[in-house]
Amino acid sequence: MRNFWIVLKFEILNFYKNKSFIIASVIICGLLIIGMSIPTIRDTFFSSSEDSIGEEVGSDQTYGFINSAEGDVNSKTLGNQFMGGELQEFDDREALDEAVQNGDLAAGFVIVSPTEYQHVIQNNEMTGSTHFMFEEAFRETYRITGFESLGIEYETVQGLVHAPIQRDTVVLGTDSAANYLYTYILVFGLYFVIIVYGQLVATSVASEKSNRAMEVLVTSTRTENLIFGKVFGGAIAGASQLALIIATAMIAYRANSNAWDGGLDFIFDIPLSVLGSFAAFGILGYLFFLFLFGALGALVSRTEDVSTSVTPITIIFVAVFAVSVMGMQNTEGMLLRVASFVPLSSFMAMFVRVSMGSVTNVEVAISLGILLATTLFTGWLASKIYRMGTLMYGNPVKITKVFKMLFSSNEA
Amino acid sequence: MHLEINNLHKSFGDTEVLHGITFEVESGKALGFLGRNGAGKTTTLRILMNLFKQNKGEILLDGKKFKVNDHQVGYLPEERGMYPKKKVIEQLVYFGELRGLGRKKATENADRWLERLGVTEYRNKKLESLSKGNQQKVQLAETFICDPDIVVLDEPFSGLDPVNAQILKDIIREQIENKKLVIFSSHQMGYIEEFCKDIALIHHGKIVLKGNLKDIKRTYGMNRLTLKDGMRTKEEVKDIIESRMGTIIRNVEIRKEQLILELHSGKEKQEFLQEAINLGLDIEGFSVYEPSLEDIFVEKAGDIA
Repeated sequence: MRNFWIVLKFEILNFYKNKSFIIASVIICGLLIIGMSIPTIRDTFFSSSEDSIGEEVGSDQTYGFINSAEGDVNSKTLGNQFMGGELQEFDDREALDEAVQNGDLAAGFVIVSPTEYQHVIQNNEMTGSTHFMFEEAFRETYRITGFESLGIEYETVQGLVHAPIQRDTVVLGTDSAANYLYTYILVFGLYFVIIVYGQLVATSVASEKSNRAMEVLVTSTRTENLIFGKVFGGAIAGASQLALIIATAMIAYRANSNAWDGGLDFIFDIPLSVLGSFAAFGILGYLFFLFLFGALGALVSRTEDVSTSVTPITIIFVAVFAVSVMGMQNTEGMLLRVASFVPLSSFMAMFVRVSMGSVTNVEVAISLGILLATTLFTGWLASKIYRMGTLMYGNPVKITKVFKMLFSSNEA
Repeated sequence: MHLEINNLHKSFGDTEVLHGITFEVESGKALGFLGRNGAGKTTTLRILMNLFKQNKGEILLDGKKFKVNDHQVGYLPEERGMYPKKKVIEQLVYFGELRGLGRKKATENADRWLERLGVTEYRNKKLESLSKGNQQKVQLAETFICDPDIVVLDEPFSGLDPVNAQILKDIIREQIENKKLVIFSSHQMGYIEEFCKDIALIHHGKIVLKGNLKDIKRTYGMNRLTLKDGMRTKEEVKDIIESRMGTIIRNVEIRKEQLILELHSGKEKQEFLQEAINLGLDIEGFSVYEPSLEDIFVEKAGDIA
C-alpha cells in the first residue's frame, strides 16, 4: 500500500509538471473566463445596450405616408399605432418620392384603401423590412375602425383575444427539458476526460516499456501498485483538471452574474442526486476505461504503436458516447436501457437515464454493482497484462494471445 | 546468506532455453556468471529477479524459497532503462522510495552514490541529456541506492570506459568486503578473474562448469607444464620434444608466448625435467601451467553451434 501512494504521487506530479497539461488547463480556463465575461464587457464598453432592441427596429428613422382613403382610414389613429419611428403625412406623391429618393425617408407608404397600400422604397433589399411596422399599424387601424363602427370598444376585444394565461409546470418525474443541457455538459466532460487521459495513461505505460524503466520498476515493487498508481494518478489528474475548469466557469459566472442576470443559472443548478450518480458512475467508468487503456499500452513496446493499440477501445468508447447522447432524446429507448447495464457503456448510459429519464433505485444499484465488479476485475486483469507485457518487446501483442498466456500458468 | 539455484528449466513457447541450471552463491563472495551471447545468462538472472517464472526448479535463500520482494536486491538489468525525461535526482529518489527508503534517506543515498560515481554535477539534469556512460552510472546509482544485501548485475561493464570500469570494480570489491552477495554476468573474462572466487559457466542453457575459480584453474592446469628454453625458439623446442619425448609428453602447443606441454597420464613433471636435462635443453623457465579463464571458457564454450 505504501508503494501505491509513492507511485500515485509520482504519476500525479508527472501530469502536473507536464507543460502540455499546464498550458492546456491555462488556455481552457482563460477561454472560459473570457467567454463568461463577454456580457460584462458588452455592458461596459457598449453601454445602453438595454435599449438597443427597441432602437434596432424603430430607431430614429422617419417614414412618410399619403392617405388617399381619408374617410375610411384615420391618419391620427395610424400615427398612434405606428411604433417604427416617426411617421409623417405627405399630401403630394412627388414630394414623398423625392424624400425617399434623397434618403430623408426610410420608406414611403401610399394608402389606397383600408386594406391596400403601396410601399415606396429606394432600393429593394433582400431582407427589406421597412414595411413591417407600417403594416402592423395599418392593420390595427383597420381593426379599431371596424370595431368602433360596430360600437364595440377595441380594448375590450383585445382583452378577450389576448387574455393572459398563466402556466405553472409541476414536474413529478424528471424534467428532461431543463436537464438536457447540464446532462450533456457532464456527459461530454466525462467523454473528453476519458479520451484524453486514456491516451495519456496508455502512452505513459508504453513509454515505460520503450525506455526500459519497466524492468527496474517491476523488480522494485508489485505490479498492482504500479498499474493502480498509474491509473489513479491519471484519474486524479484528469478529474482535478475537469474540476478546475468547472470551478473556473462557475467563479467567472458568479463574478459576472450582474451582466448574465441569472441567464445560465439552470446549468449550475444541478440536483445533488444527479451529481451523486455522476460521481459514482463517472468515477467507476473513468477508472474502468483507464485500466483498459493502461493494459493496451502495455501490449506495445513503442509509444508510436499506442494509437493503433487503443483504436478498438476508442471506437467502442465513441459509440458508447453516441448511444448515450442519442439516448438523451429518448431515455426510455431499448438501446439505452440495455446500454445502461453493459459495463462498457453503463457509466454513461445509466447516468443519462438517472439524470433525464425515470429509473428505479434497484436498477441503478444493479448497474452500479456490475460496473464496480467489472472495474475491479479489469484492474486485476490490467495488472496481469502489465506484468506480462513487461518483457515483451517487438511487435504489438495480439489480445487473443494475451488471454492464452494469462491462463497458461507457465508464463510470467 | 546462501543463495541456491536448483535445476531451473525455462521454455519460451516450445523451445527450452534453460535445461536445469544449478549453482550457488554465498555472501561475501562474488559469483561470475559466464557464458556466450544467448547462452541463457540474462534469462537465468531474470528468473532470479522474478521477471520470468521458471517452468521447473527452485531458488532458495538460506534454505527457504527466495522471494525477491522480501529482500533488498540491487538489480542492474541488461537493458538499461530509466525515465529519460525526468531529472536524475527525482527518479533516483523515486526508485529508492519504491524499495522502501524514506524520502530523506533516499535523497541522501542518491546524493552519496552520485558523488561516488562522479556524476553529482548532473543531479538536476534530465537523464536524456547525459552521455551514455553517465546514464549507465546513474543506473548504477539506482542499483545501489537501497544498499542492497544482494547485488545482481547483468553485464555491468559493458559500455564503461576503463576509468569508469575501475570505479565500478572498486564498488564491487567494496560490496564483497561488506559481505554482500554479488552475482554478475559477463563475457569479459578479465573482470571476472579479478574478483570472483566462484564461477558458473553456462553454455546452451546448461551449466558446463562451476565452482571455485582457483580449483578449476588447478584442475585445468594439471598435467600441463610450461617451458622456456634460453637458446632455442619455441618451434625448435617443440620439434625436439615431439620427436624425442613422445612417451612422456602427449601434446605440445604454442599458445601466445608460451609453450604448453601436456603430460601423459601417470607421468610426473620430475620425469620430464630429468629427460629435458638429459636432452640438453637450456631450461630458463619451468612451471605448472595455470590457464587463464579465457582458455577455459574457449575450451568449454568455444564450439561453434
